[in-house]
Amino acid sequence: MGKVFVFDHAKCNGCRNCQIACKDEHVDNDWSPWAKPQPDTGHFWTHIEERVCGQVPKVKVSYLLHICQHCENAPCIEAAPEAVFRRDDGLVIIDPEKAKGLKELVEACPYEAIFWNEELELPQKCTGCAHLVDAGEVPHCVDVCPHGALRFGDEEDFESELAIAEALVPERAKTDCPRVHYLNLPKRFLAGLVVDLEADEVVIGAKVTAENVDSGEVLVTETDEFGDFWFHCVPEANWKLYVEAEGYLSRMLEASTVEEDRNVGPVQVFAS
Amino acid sequence: MGNNVKGTPIVKGLGFNSFGIGTNACTVDIDEENDKILRIRPFHFDEHQTPEELNAWKIEARGSTFEPGFKTLISPLSLCYKKRVYSKNRIPYPLKRVDWDPQGERNPQNRGTSGYVRISWDEACEITAAEIKRIHDQYGPASILCELDGHGETKFVHAPHGCQSRMFDLIGSYTLQTRQPDSWEGWYWGAKHIWGMDPLGQNSLQNNVIKDIAENGDAVLFWGCDVETTPLGWGGYLASRLCFWFTELGVKQIHISPDVNYTNAVHADFWIPVKPNTDAALQLAIAYTWIKEGTYDQDYLDTHSIGFENFKYYVMGGEDGVPKTPKWAEAICGVPSYTIKAFARYWAKHAVSIAHCNGGSYIRSCFAHEPARLEVALLGMQSVGKPGANQFKFIEWTLYGMESVTPLPPSSEIPNCSPAYRGWFRSFPKSFIPKTMIPEAIMNPPVSWYGHIGAGFPREDQFDGPYTFPLEGNERLHMIWSDTPCWETCWNGGNEMQEALRHESIEFIIVQHPWMENDCFFADIILPTNTKFETEDIGTDSDNGQWNVVYFERQAVKPRLESKSDMEAVGEVAKKLEKYGGIYENLYERYMGGKTCEEYIQAGFENTGAAKKMTFDEFKEKQYYAFPTKEKWEDLPVGLSQFHDDPEGHPLSTPSGKLEYYSTRLADEFPDDKERGPVPHWVDEGAGHQERQYLERGRKYPFLLVSNHPRWRVHANLDDVTWFREMEEYVKVTGPDGYKYEPVWVHPIDAGKLGLRTGDVVKLHNERGAVLGGVRVTERIMPGVVYQDHGSRVDSIVLGRGGLDRGGANNLIAPYATTSSHAFGEVTSGFLVGVEKVDVFKLAEEYPEAFNRDYDPDCGLVATARVVEGA
Repeated sequence: MGKVFVFDHAKCNGCRNCQIACKDEHVDNDWSPWAKPQPDTGHFWTHIEERVCGQVPKVKVSYLLHICQHCENAPCIEAAPEAVFRRDDGLVIIDPEKAKGLKELVEACPYEAIFWNEELELPQKCTGCAHLVDAGEVPHCVDVCPHGALRFGDEEDFESELAIAEALVPERAKTDCPRVHYLNLPKRFLAGLVVDLEADEVVIGAKVTAENVDSGEVLVTETDEFGDFWFHCVPEANWKLYVEAEGYLSRMLEASTVEEDRNVGPVQVFAS
Repeated sequence: MGNNVKGTPIVKGLGFNSFGIGTNACTVDIDEENDKILRIRPFHFDEHQTPEELNAWKIEARGSTFEPGFKTLISPLSLCYKKRVYSKNRIPYPLKRVDWDPQGERNPQNRGTSGYVRISWDEACEITAAEIKRIHDQYGPASILCELDGHGETKFVHAPHGCQSRMFDLIGSYTLQTRQPDSWEGWYWGAKHIWGMDPLGQNSLQNNVIKDIAENGDAVLFWGCDVETTPLGWGGYLASRLCFWFTELGVKQIHISPDVNYTNAVHADFWIPVKPNTDAALQLAIAYTWIKEGTYDQDYLDTHSIGFENFKYYVMGGEDGVPKTPKWAEAICGVPSYTIKAFARYWAKHAVSIAHCNGGSYIRSCFAHEPARLEVALLGMQSVGKPGANQFKFIEWTLYGMESVTPLPPSSEIPNCSPAYRGWFRSFPKSFIPKTMIPEAIMNPPVSWYGHIGAGFPREDQFDGPYTFPLEGNERLHMIWSDTPCWETCWNGGNEMQEALRHESIEFIIVQHPWMENDCFFADIILPTNTKFETEDIGTDSDNGQWNVVYFERQAVKPRLESKSDMEAVGEVAKKLEKYGGIYENLYERYMGGKTCEEYIQAGFENTGAAKKMTFDEFKEKQYYAFPTKEKWEDLPVGLSQFHDDPEGHPLSTPSGKLEYYSTRLADEFPDDKERGPVPHWVDEGAGHQERQYLERGRKYPFLLVSNHPRWRVHANLDDVTWFREMEEYVKVTGPDGYKYEPVWVHPIDAGKLGLRTGDVVKLHNERGAVLGGVRVTERIMPGVVYQDHGSRVDSIVLGRGGLDRGGANNLIAPYATTSSHAFGEVTSGFLVGVEKVDVFKLAEEYPEAFNRDYDPDCGLVATARVVEGA
């Protein structure tokens, strides 16, 4: 048991309140014994990564939280057990006195959550605002999230959500046991538009089948009132798309979501 | 330090409203012992009031409940504010331009390039008083222009805007720079003529529209509307939460704009990319589709409108032989005709509302009155006011003190602390100049126009005039006092303004401001004022959408450096004027109005209903009073439902009381106006503007520039915040020379054609000049269009018309001409530019002075860049 963070990607509007609140809390404020002041710029103890997905006119922006994962088996503790420790509530702390000069700690974190403070010669990272938690408050980043996309509390209070949560880096989850849990992590989308250029009309209700060439999985949808079709949350894969509509010759085309989300653009169909 | 973790909580409103209307209530934890701000966090309504006392509202629909929550939903633009207080760009002490000598050579031509020397407050105010006296004697008081509008901090007693006008009112008036309805240009100049809706032209009957959409709506159109950006300076994230709720309810969110704005990025179900300022063509094609397919409500129009036949005649091509078909529109606006038709059919079949947040090319470009009028024309064709079909706004929920402009449950009171307010309070002098026409008024008087050009004037005021500056018998302008030094980067054609500020007729310019930026560099005397963290004041927040609240604003920290508050700074000049006797006698006391700051705060408090609930001492102790939600708010008529149900009983404020597809007033007053005729049209070009890609200038400058309200600033505010500027690509783009350039979004197709990559530096240019920017190649902008926020700090390389700016302040190269011949608004988005890669190292060789200015990439230009040590 102990404290956990839960981040719901579907609720994040990308406002950066969490990122700026971290600066507000830690720059020029000394919260010893948990943390020395953060430098004004260059450190991102809490960070929102922005990614633009898709192509005009099917474009989304994905915002993803990066923060110390407060791992149960923290690689940073392993790297410097004398300078990094876990509090009883699970928050992982780099002791600002004992960690002085330990620049190698920056490399020890596989989540790139540790930053080097040149002036203080100190590795630094998120403390979970331990000073506030001890005063009965939540971390500043959590307090300012307008949508409850970032929450913090006792593990038992999140039980049902943790059951379906994912890890930021799934392949490390078993080893590190991170205590920042992610909901609705972004996947790819595959989308397009079906159009009859001859008639100068979109085609509504066309059946679109997406066959995952890599796994054989088959997904089916229909074009909407705007002639659009969307497959949300698909894996990174190569696809065959089949477009069928009454009165039209069927079309097949190939598309890939391996590198990025994919808008295949207007798919022209021809009257049969 | 570790002991004082929580600090002492005080309240500050961190909005950027004008004229004593506050917003963005925040709690600020201070460390009193160390004179320090610890943190900024949400303000809690329920600290001293229970949900019952607040009459807490909620909206229930489709099995889901929306509740506003009991803490304010503040944004990073508030959270970052410590950085503004401690900015390296704070003006440290009073300054005098090094080569300006009031007794000798004034060198107006050097404004913008000269350095500054430190002087004392005493000397600065002595010089200023002497200059006022001299101008009064030589030219008369109307030769002094006061620039006192805009979006500074919101303070009451220490008002950032217009303290000087209070003083001038006591010594013979002044000339006012009137601020035209800049946030609402198209609505004000256009929509008012089809549906009235004073004071702004946007729907002013919005009550319960959110509830109505939640219950009955199928879709909301976000027409150039950015909920995640525009409200932040005046509200917060309640609007954003509503978008998430709409998604949960299955209310489709359709975005129509050239860019994937920050709301589209997260909330949109469907995006229609449209070229900037071509929305009118798209709208006409929608009307064409409805007329052709018979999918509009003719019965409604028969009883609710006049002149629809004229409109229909124009749309179908009767007037000019050009039917406004989707194919016709496609060539102009870039939306495929099949999409226009599909969209028009969707709209005709569903309950659709339209949402706005102001700004952008839709409403701030040339002829912006046309898309605004056409939007209302379309709403009317689908019987606006029926369930789920209204127009509403995600911001300005109590503007002009009106209860009817909120689509959410209103509070029982909109607190008004005006007795505390010491800035400009709408005293309208006889001599005034529209803000959009200042450069011409300075350099080429006389100038004339129609109307008072002040936001909030009624529709009929647009026909009042013509007015002229200077008034008969008066001299031209010879002095400027600005507390709003951001004209260059916020208004239309800043390069022309630079020339005006250097004009020989202007003998003295004084600026008061906390930060050394923009128009400050043209001042002869600069007075350093301070931020609201450094003063004690009163505040209100009536735009959060949760509960209206009045609060006591304790001083957070002592005044920094040598700063004084805006009110105090003007007071210092008033003191110095007293020695001239006569009208100046006893001026300071008269200016202060006989009360202390605390007494003004108390007077403000006592003007609100809070005074009935608690004593002033209690107010100071609890620091706030929040006004409960209005009783029976559910019973307020929904949007335009009353007009919908009974147009005779509930007429619009147009001359006929109906929707006027043909405006008889425009026809009567301006019969020869081809740009804003009686029936809304597509306008290719006009006397002042040719900003179309398919016309001649479009071949020379092939891109249209979108310039919205900035995501990481409030207009010109906050450009120095280090915590924003380090977000590489998103806030600034670091060029090869280490300078942080203002981002320019370029579509990959255009980047390919132009040979551009993210991180390159480009020049956006037209015949009015050029500004630099850092390229971000992105799918967030449609091809053929580039995007750069407005309001970046000016960092001039070459001044004046044809000039070059490093800061990316694209208003410098916006058109000088106003909206259209009888509409005097700004045109600051949706204009033509060329895009060209530049070699910054070559430029640095060519312009060593500009490229070697004192600069800190983290903060940008710093105050010391212009201060001459030891001079």
